[in-house]
Amino acid sequence: MKCFLIAVLIVGGMAVATAAADLDEVVARGELVWAADQEGGGPHVFPDPANPRQLTGFEVDLAALLAEELGVKPRFQQGQWDRLPLLLGRTADCVINGIELTPERQRDNHCSRPYFAYSLQLIARRDGPIDALGKLAATGPKGRWRVGVLTGSAAESVMRSRTDLEVDVIGYDGTIDSLEQLSTGVLDAAVMDDCIFTFYADRFSRLRTVERPFAGGFYTILTARDTPRLSAAIDAALGRLIADGRLKALYDRWDLAGRQQMLLLRDAGEVPIARQKSLGELCRDTLPLLIRAAGMTVLLSCLSFPLAVGIGLAVAVGRMYGPPLLKPLLTGYVEVLRGTPLMLQLYAIFFLLPKIGLALPALVAAIVALALNYSAYESEIYRAGLKAVPPGQFEASLSLGLSKWQALRHVLVPQAVRIVMPPVTSDFIALFKDTSVCSAITVVELTKRYSVLALSTGRIVELAVVTALLYLCMSWPLAMLSRWFEQRLERPAAGHGLTEG
Amino acid sequence: MITVSSLTKSRAHVRVLEDVSLAGAEGTVTALVGPSGSGKSTLLRCLNGLETFDSGGITVGGHRLTPGSHAPALLERLRCDVGMVFQQFNLFAHLSAVNNVALAPRVVLGLSSADARARGLDLLDRVGLRSFADARPATLSGGQQQRVAIARALAMRPRVMLFDEPTSALDPAMTAEVLEVIVELARDGQTMVVVTHDHAFAKRAASHVVELAAGRIARQGPPADVL
Repeated sequence: MKCFLIAVLIVGGMAVATAAADLDEVVARGELVWAADQEGGGPHVFPDPANPRQLTGFEVDLAALLAEELGVKPRFQQGQWDRLPLLLGRTADCVINGIELTPERQRDNHCSRPYFAYSLQLIARRDGPIDALGKLAATGPKGRWRVGVLTGSAAESVMRSRTDLEVDVIGYDGTIDSLEQLSTGVLDAAVMDDCIFTFYADRFSRLRTVERPFAGGFYTILTARDTPRLSAAIDAALGRLIADGRLKALYDRWDLAGRQQMLLLRDAGEVPIARQKSLGELCRDTLPLLIRAAGMTVLLSCLSFPLAVGIGLAVAVGRMYGPPLLKPLLTGYVEVLRGTPLMLQLYAIFFLLPKIGLALPALVAAIVALALNYSAYESEIYRAGLKAVPPGQFEASLSLGLSKWQALRHVLVPQAVRIVMPPVTSDFIALFKDTSVCSAITVVELTKRYSVLALSTGRIVELAVVTALLYLCMSWPLAMLSRWFEQRLERPAAGHGLTEG
Repeated sequence: MITVSSLTKSRAHVRVLEDVSLAGAEGTVTALVGPSGSGKSTLLRCLNGLETFDSGGITVGGHRLTPGSHAPALLERLRCDVGMVFQQFNLFAHLSAVNNVALAPRVVLGLSSADARARGLDLLDRVGLRSFADARPATLSGGQQQRVAIARALAMRPRVMLFDEPTSALDPAMTAEVLEVIVELARDGQTMVVVTHDHAFAKRAASHVVELAAGRIARQGPPADVL
């Protein structure tokens, strides 16, 4: 516990030490660095289809207007959407990216006056059963409805707070991932800001909006708490843009109902600021969730790794002892899986396979992807292990009348397994941590749960330490177990020494 | 029991065996002698199909080998009848002494674990190592390991036993203990072919000596005539 507190103090201290750039520094630098996520970012911030090297979007225009008001040039900083606030005071001066105004965000950062009014829209398949929000109040033929949202968005928190609905809320890292999954039938519905769906609707001809938007709020510009002059300057600049009609003209240009926006912004009320929880309260509220997520991490690794080892061993044996025709195929298998990112493989299995009619549940897709990816590495380890067994062992087996496969099964593989124990253990621990990429396909494991909780509570450092400790609590015993197993295999059978000869 | 006729073998355009013919009747011990590189070990390894040959023929333990590659099924049947002991012992490092001996009877002949173990213990007894049944090879001396290797080959009850310089990796004391076992086998009527540099041993155990030089048979006959 003492170490924990020291770690919190050290990391916390480092965070405080990086002071954010206030207005004077921005002006001196001549640049306003604004952060956003251009991935699936329409209509806010997205690569111009005509010239993908150029960013466009209504927030690009807004950033340009604001920078102009401050007398500087705008500079764009890319970031993962749900982690954008973390860039404040480090690589960005402000975040302009459809950030919804919430009490939590008001507590953790400075939130500017609203610059846009969004509405939450329910989306479903044209041929699907969801034709009203009320349909979600009772379970469907396959149990609870599966509803996709953008991780960390207002849509997510609104849907998670709706205990009156029979829904499993599934968070995605990409804005339109949920639309892809809804199209292929993995989800029953999606909820997102209406302007986003309007922008992408042409791509998803099978989808439609369900009823009118059912909730809404305002977008705000985030700045760090310790840059009051910059925050004030941005608020003042927004005020001028609203007053002289430039903001309305901007929205009209983007077909975003400029007049309606102005009416809504005029009525924008104050949002209450949330209270900071004590460390005890924080742990009490978050630890059960983190531990449950750690269970998912264990489940993913313990189911995928044995598969990876099994496939890897089979591939290694096939490459070394299999028929000649099989060898180039297996070599290709290893090189493709080893040479492409795990993340891409996850996406391929989860998002592409449903297009050819093979929709795997997220958990199964995650296990399959991890097992396949790691099988390539395991096969190389086993190939090395098999090569390290002296050739005389194989000849001795054959000379006793064993077939090639019997020799492998009873002599070569058991010895190779002992040789490769240390690197295989190391890979298990690596896979254990790599399970965190599965959050990209909606599997909520420890790292994902941490991100969600850290962002919703704003307690990034404390929860990071708790999460790291949970990882250690799991990987340490694992390492001990495998070392024990290794020693057990090495130990000569008991009872007999060199008393003869 | 063993017939080799006009055997030739080349490796990378070099003749390693040239027109080698010999015969070994049941219950005889044939010693292959000659300088290093004369083809003794290659000839021995041809006898159980660990090496192929280019022309000629081999009949061993009732199985016939022809030039070129051999069918796996034929080799598996042949090797059940032709055991081999290696210069470097090649004991299975992950198995205890008795399991080294019992593995092939269990896996190849289909004996139950208990029967295979019993056979293993009997054979370890025969080579004087019953009390080391559960020791790992790494904890045994070279002589002990080679005796376990002999027991392992005998476990398949082969009609012919091949020894490839069985004592070259051993010091004199260990050599003596291994040779004692081989002489014992000869006395029991086991048909054997032994590659050796040890002329005293060849004189004592062999009924027939074949001397190879540069891949050809230089001389062959009773030990007293050749050595």
